[in-house]
Order: sequence, then structure tokens, then C-alpha cells
Amino acid sequence: MLAAGVALLLSGCGLTIPTDPDGTLDRVRSGGTLRVGASPRPGWVEMQGVHAPSGREPQLVEGFAEHLDAEVEWTVAGEEHLVTMLEDGELDLAVGGFTDANAWMDKVGLTRSYAEVDVDGTTEAHVMMVPMGENALQSELERWLDDHGGAS
Amino acid sequence: MSRGADPAEAGHGTGRFGHTELPPRQSAALRKAKRLEVVTLVFMVTAIALVYATMGSSQAMKTAWIEDMLALVPPLAFLVAVHRARRRPSADHPYGFHRSTAIGHLTAAVALLTVGLSLVYDAGTGLVRAEHPPIGTTHLLGVTFWSGWLMIAAMVYTGVGPFILGRMKLPLSEELHDKVLFADADMQKADWMTAAGTIVGVLGIGIGLWWADAAAALLISMSIVHDGWRNLRHASSALMDERARTFDDKHPHPLTREVDEVLQGLAWISDSRSRVRDQGHVFHVEAFVRPIGDAPTIDQLEEAVDAVRSLDWKMHDVVLMPVRDLPDTIPDPRANDQ
Repeated sequence: MLAAGVALLLSGCGLTIPTDPDGTLDRVRSGGTLRVGASPRPGWVEMQGVHAPSGREPQLVEGFAEHLDAEVEWTVAGEEHLVTMLEDGELDLAVGGFTDANAWMDKVGLTRSYAEVDVDGTTEAHVMMVPMGENALQSELERWLDDHGGAS
Repeated sequence: MSRGADPAEAGHGTGRFGHTELPPRQSAALRKAKRLEVVTLVFMVTAIALVYATMGSSQAMKTAWIEDMLALVPPLAFLVAVHRARRRPSADHPYGFHRSTAIGHLTAAVALLTVGLSLVYDAGTGLVRAEHPPIGTTHLLGVTFWSGWLMIAAMVYTGVGPFILGRMKLPLSEELHDKVLFADADMQKADWMTAAGTIVGVLGIGIGLWWADAAAALLISMSIVHDGWRNLRHASSALMDERARTFDDKHPHPLTREVDEVLQGLAWISDSRSRVRDQGHVFHVEAFVRPIGDAPTIDQLEEAVDAVRSLDWKMHDVVLMPVRDLPDTIPDPRANDQ
């Protein structure tokens, strides 16, 4: 109740919660480009020659971009490089079959896991990476994945 | 005085510290304080569980969680200290066990200072490294909402308890002259202020001010460090037999002056000089008196001791020494009476 009240009050002042400190979500929506990094991982991100990445996660990303009225601009690189680019604000999103147990937690924002898979008896909870603290983008992506991410 | 068989030990008798029986008001205050501390412990355990469940990857919430754990220290210190202080003096402990309070005070002060310093470090490094705290969404009972709201709700819960409990403990700490309880009230103040700060901080993050959480925490941590340092300083001085001070350590205790006033008011005493130290709840008095004329009689000496003891229930252990000249090794308490 209180939370809803505060939210209403703030939106009355032209503020939305959450808002990105660096305005990523607004920029993607108005600029029409979603800059996505991809690192190959069989079953999640497939690379076929010089084409754009394909597979489960690239498909999800394309769908999310469409939801934001944006085109995806792909960058294919190794995981560490993608993390650096996210930190430097050169990417808006990164996929690569990442799990919530990955080592980059304190450098990038991880979405809530959108899919859980059993691998050799342990459960892998799959996540995507977003720039740290871009909470509006992260929340929008998590909501979208709630509706579309589970379907494999 | 026999140890074991004491009617006060059973059920709700009068409380006591060592062989000092507490007056009814203090007895009631002691019972209430014990109950409050048990309530505090139970409440803090629920708060710890709640914050743990909602903290996610938020560093600010993690700090709040560690603080909540440290907030268990003062109530535990209080309960242990009053339990020990009840014991009567023994051959090995002729002064009784009152000092357990001072140890409890020191322990609580260290916990409070640790909370403050960890908060300073955390908020400071967060600001310097320009960390943007990530707060995503939570999916609960079929609804997806921003996790910030959940954190705010958790902070409202963890803040309300200490706000009320701390206020209830302050008057009791004065009544009982219990500094552990006073330090605990400070800890509860630190708790609710941190909760309030986190709420402001999370709302700030919500509107895109990444530094809001760390800045709010840094401001609040200053006051916590200040309280922790003050408690630590006075707890240590009290262990070094500093002159007794008021429950909040703000002033020298008025009783330290009243001892000499009451002694000098007696007809046979021309002058006196006394040392009053805080044993924990109760005071230990050593008074040197210069009689007018001849050596005082035993009756006169006992009358003087009674006069000092009747000043206050805290006047627990009074040693009176007639001397020809006042010892100049004891400074005049009025010389530095701030």
C-alpha cells in the first residue's frame, strides 16, 4: 500500500521507479538500438560462420529488442571482454549461457534466473548480464523473461 | 549472610545486585528490562531472517544484515551481566560481581563501534568506486515487482522494533544505572537510523541516483561511530576506576559530590575527601574524614556511614576512614567538575 502510494506520488512528479542512473533503457527505446554482447556456448549461443549469433538466447534477445522497438547490434567476444564492455557502458546486455554462479557478480548486474536446467545432477540457473545498476533495463528484461524465457 | 537460601531467588521477589536489595521501583525496572531484552532478541532474530531473505545482491542490505547480527550482542551482554551481578560476594570475589556490567558495557560498545566502522567502510568504498547498486525485480506469488519495494518493506519492519524498544530502554537504563542497557539503546538507535537511511537510499536508487544509498549510509554511520566511540571511551574509563558518572556518561554523578556534602554536614566532621567509583549499578565509596577534636566513637562512624548509604540505593559499599590530615593524593572532585 505504502509502496504503491509512493510510486504513484513519484510518477505524478514525472519520475519512474526504477530509473537507470545512466539512462540505458530510455536510450534503447529512443535510439532503436540494443547493443548486445554474445559469447558462444553450445545449446545457448550458437555461432554459424559470419552470421549473427543464433540459438536459444539470441532468439530471446531478438524478441526483447522487438519488445523495445529496437534492432540488435551484436558483438561477439569472450566472456571477460564482454564484462569489460558492460562496465565501460559499451554494451547494454550480454548473453552466453551464463549462470547465477558466475564470477562476474560484483562487476555486472545479473538478471533473476529465467531458466533452470539440470546438468549432471546439479541445477544451473541461467541469467543474462546487464550493466551494473541499470535497474530499469534490468527490471524490464526480467519481466519480459518471466513471460517468454521459460519456453525452450 | 547466607548464600543459597534466599526468598528473593524464587519467582518475583525483589531484585538485587550482589547483597544490595533493590528498592521496589528498581526491582520493577529490572524485571521490565529483562523482558524487553528477551523481546529484543526474538525480534532481532526475525529481522535477521527477513533481511537475509530479501537482501539479494544488495550490498547495503548485506551490511544491514551484519548489523542486525551485531545488534544481538548488547541484549545478550545485558542478560549475562545482570545474571552475574546478582551473585553475592564470595571469598574469591569480595567486591561481588558488579563489574560484569562494565565488561558488558565494553562488549556492547565494541559491537556498536564495529557496526559504525563497517558502515563507514562499506559506504565509503561504494562511493569512491562509484558502485551502481543493482536492484532488479522479484517474482512473488505470481506478481513481478521491483525488489526495492520489498527491501523498503523489510526495512520498515526492522526499523520499527528498535525505534520502540530503544525508547523504552532509555528510562530503564537511568533507573537501574545500567550502562549496558544504555549502550543497547544506542545500538537500537543505530538500527532504526540505518533502516531509515536504507529506505531513503533504496528510493534514491529507484529514481536513478546510484549514490543515494551509500551517501545515506555514510551520514548515518557518522552518528553510530560517535556513539560507539563515546561508549567505548567511558566503558574503558569506568574499568580504570574513573569517578562515577551518570547513566549516560554525560556528567560526573551528583552523588560523587553529595558524599562529601553529607559528611561535612555532620557536627563532628570538619572536612572530608572521598573517592566514588562505579562498580556497575552500584557505587563503591571510600571517604576520608577529619574529625573535630578527639577521635570519633564507633557510633559516630556508623552514623556517618549510614548517612552516606541513605543517600541512594546505589551507595552499596561504603568505607569510612578518620584521618588527621586529608590525603593530598586524592584530587578535589570540585577541581574538574564538568
